[in-house]
Amino acid sequence: MKNTSLTNGNRRQFMKAGMATSAALLSSSALAQETVLEPSRGPGRTVMEMGYYGERSEYVKDARLKGNRGTGLIGGSLTPLQHGHGIVTPSGLHFEVHHSGVPDIDPSEHKLLIHGMVDDAKIFTMEDLLRFPSVNRFHFLECAGNGMGEWMAPRGQTVQQTHGLTSCSQWTGVPLKIVLNELGVKTDAKWILAEGDDGARMTRSIPMWKAMDDAILAYAQNGEFLRPEQGFPLRLLLPGFEGNMNVKWLRRLEIGDKPWWTHHEDTEYADPRPNDKIRAFSFYMEGRSVITSPSAGMKLNGPGFYEISGLAWSGAGTVKKVDISTDSGKTWQQANLEAPVLPKSHTRFKMPWTWDGKETNIMSRSTDDTGYVQPTYEEMYKLQGPIGMMHNNAIQNWHIAQDGEITNVRL
Amino acid sequence: MSAYKTMKIITLTTVTFGVAFGGLYASAQEKFGFGRSVDKDEIARYDSDIHTDGTGLPEGSGNVALGREIFEYQCALCHGENLEGVPEMGARTLHDGRRDIKKLPYATSLFDFVRRAMPLTDPGTLSNDEAYGLVAFLLVETGVIDDPDLTLDAKSLAAIKMPNRKNFIIDPASRFTAEDLEDK
Ligand code: HEC
Repeated sequence: MKNTSLTNGNRRQFMKAGMATSAALLSSSALAQETVLEPSRGPGRTVMEMGYYGERSEYVKDARLKGNRGTGLIGGSLTPLQHGHGIVTPSGLHFEVHHSGVPDIDPSEHKLLIHGMVDDAKIFTMEDLLRFPSVNRFHFLECAGNGMGEWMAPRGQTVQQTHGLTSCSQWTGVPLKIVLNELGVKTDAKWILAEGDDGARMTRSIPMWKAMDDAILAYAQNGEFLRPEQGFPLRLLLPGFEGNMNVKWLRRLEIGDKPWWTHHEDTEYADPRPNDKIRAFSFYMEGRSVITSPSAGMKLNGPGFYEISGLAWSGAGTVKKVDISTDSGKTWQQANLEAPVLPKSHTRFKMPWTWDGKETNIMSRSTDDTGYVQPTYEEMYKLQGPIGMMHNNAIQNWHIAQDGEITNVRL
Repeated sequence: MSAYKTMKIITLTTVTFGVAFGGLYASAQEKFGFGRSVDKDEIARYDSDIHTDGTGLPEGSGNVALGREIFEYQCALCHGENLEGVPEMGARTLHDGRRDIKKLPYATSLFDFVRRAMPLTDPGTLSNDEAYGLVAFLLVETGVIDDPDLTLDAKSLAAIKMPNRKNFIIDPASRFTAEDLEDK
């Protein structure tokens, strides 16, 4: 009797230990033959009870957070970057921004029309598109308005509010250039209008060189078909370009020789410049980084060791280095970039740090492989002036008070 | 569709295709032959965008009075009686800042947007006449055009030169050139 139950007990202990990855627990339990064992958990839920699309643990509550703006038809929700690990954002936590809500589209009825300056205009069904050779690529997406609320003064109480309009996924789809080759694109074609099948028919002008470079007609994200809010069944993916151009629910591509200057590219997503100028075609999301842990809203539990961890990315290329200051910007140290370090993808950086318990500020600054260095707010203001806001990739500062409380403060 | 229910494997006929894609879009790369060719009539059912030279503008016309009437009934709830914007509805002022109508580079884009995207809660329901009238109303109301009796149709709308067009510039650091900015 005793032996049997011990065997059982040991096995359960072993399983627990495995989960806790604690070798110590295993060896001490093996010796503790005379102690009263923790009661068994008994049998768990069956495979049938678990269901066939896995749910996360009920103890895990991370969720997106509704953005400030609008009624929900316009606007979006933000990714909880403070609790993220690695570089992939779970599809259910990927940020979203819409201009006319999320349409419900039956993939068997969805079509993509490609026409304009081509020899042979064509309609593709999803089945057609799935037959083409495909690629899998890790890429971040970022709304051009990520951090717009921070422009004039720090407002977000967590990194979710300050930076949560960026996420990173492995996307699967067919390279756009392969599909365009089916149609015979005229050589003087320079631009493409991409149109979504949402109520407002979101449209953006896409330069042809981007289409012929790394653009993807994406139908899957993180190993499964796209989520509705990410454009199911088909979205355009323009690695490194502002989120809005990655048109969701893609229904039409028109090939032309000049840009369309659609409403969104002329207004919300264009960048002001000094002397009332407006920068046209501000497509790239430039190099940026942020410390996600420890970050605002958290509290350090006394002096001692902390791992500083964060994300860096660049729409123009690959993150080359991230420098971290833990003394309010006086000195900088290079963080470790954790593999994989991929172009136009989130990159996880880390640095061990021992907090001495004194008030300080921590911040990160990225450099990409084009040599672009993440700017300060001061530099951003010079570039955009007070009505700026979009494409805000300035260095983010977190203030750490003596009691360990972390807040969003600008130096 | 089968692919969305089961992971049905589709056998591809053997095709070779080059990775390199030269500066010219014409390519020797073999075609897969997927997709269905479409004719002009079918394209016309999908193609509703307006080009900056006016291509795509539909028949019909509308004046400021018609625009004002529609605006009061269908738009003011969110945009405000005087276009000042109702923040709770997500709409900002159309007189100033990033959504300033005066700052738009093309009136064609304004027509295109209003007709396809507004009213926000019922997009795609405006008639062509109403859309022309609304654009006339918005341009007069924001002081772009000083003519309370303005009537717009395809020809007159395409001819409008927006005063702020010249202020759009190319970032010297970007891949775009002055040519991309030009009206062709
Ligand atoms: C339910 C609220 C609502 C109604 C009704 C509505 N709009 Fe809008 N409108 C918005 C919002 C929100 C935006 C911003 C759109 C975006 O960012 O994608 C907008 C944008 C616009 C814009 C472009 C300026 C900008 O802010 O981007 C124009 C012009 C416009 N609307 C005109 C109209 C007209 C004309 C009507 C009536 C036919 C109308 N709207 C009805 C909410 C509304």
